[in-house]
Amino acid sequence: MASFAGAYAASHGPLLVREWESVPAEQKSRLASAFRSLGERITESRADVLIVVSPDHWSNFFLDNYPAVCIGVGATHEGPPEPWMKSYPHRELAGSPEFALHLVEEAMRAGFEPSMSHRLKLDHGACIPLWRMELPNMPALVPMLVNSIEPPMPSLARCYAWGRLLRQAIDSFPGSERIGVLATGGLSHSIGEKTMGAIHEDFDRETIRRFSASASSLLEYLEAELPRRGNGSEEVRNWLVAHGAAAGRGFELVDYLPVPAVIVGCGFASWLTSGSG
Amino acid sequence: MRDYWLSKMFFDLQQPAAAAEFRADRAKFMGKYSLGEDVKAAIERNDAPFLAGRTNAYLLRYYFFTLGMKDAEFIRKLNGG
Repeated sequence: MASFAGAYAASHGPLLVREWESVPAEQKSRLASAFRSLGERITESRADVLIVVSPDHWSNFFLDNYPAVCIGVGATHEGPPEPWMKSYPHRELAGSPEFALHLVEEAMRAGFEPSMSHRLKLDHGACIPLWRMELPNMPALVPMLVNSIEPPMPSLARCYAWGRLLRQAIDSFPGSERIGVLATGGLSHSIGEKTMGAIHEDFDRETIRRFSASASSLLEYLEAELPRRGNGSEEVRNWLVAHGAAAGRGFELVDYLPVPAVIVGCGFASWLTSGSG
Repeated sequence: MRDYWLSKMFFDLQQPAAAAEFRADRAKFMGKYSLGEDVKAAIERNDAPFLAGRTNAYLLRYYFFTLGMKDAEFIRKLNGG
């Protein structure tokens, strides 16, 4: 059977690329170090496949049809379509259709009904962390696009349950692959709203603290606070998926720093995998 | 509330070719979408608060980025400045 290769989370944001040079040196160093640390952890995990949990920033979907959750089952995914991501080194990224289809089937059996796509574009949400982590070998990627952009969005509890489902699908996959989960996005930020640029450090730190408390405590806090912490903060849903995949245990903060130059409360974390195969 | 055609135009303007076409002849480009006169006027005067009430916040930001507007100026406009 396949085995779980850990869960990881990293912020993303266009300004991590477009305004990188304007980030103060000390913050730039910490950001680079945090991304690299995650990359090293993923490399050490020997992950063959990474489920990349990310929003779709209007790259694949529009108002005609905006899925709550979409799984990329293609053999190949397209690289980022944003013109300012043209330096990203991968124009195509390998998928894992066998595992992805197994995941969709497991989801259907469990009463989850994701959309699926045989050809997705992986925008900056997925690709900035993958880029900055400097992975020497890119694992096969299974994109899981979770709507945290256009309301209404999947509930926080459902996102956590999705994580549990990912783990079930990994544990039941009849292969020898090691499969990890990379969540991207968050923590607090605000995009295209009057509060754009605001970072809620108190919210971020309390959210981080509660990732080490019970899942119910975390969900309760987020249910109460998310509506007033900026629309970008909704991406914490992806962290909940990772948390669920790790069975709500083993959260370890790699680093957190609010970075006004990129208008994001930047968080980096992994979930320890000892005893998880 | 979502103005479908306004949102569609902003969505399409993520494509560099469409953005170039828009910059070359804004009126002609907008003619491809069923935009209300009030919406067209808001676009002409870069009325971010008006547009914000009719589209997704991310699409709005992408639009003003496509125009070449710096974030600081965009935030100022969002707040009615």
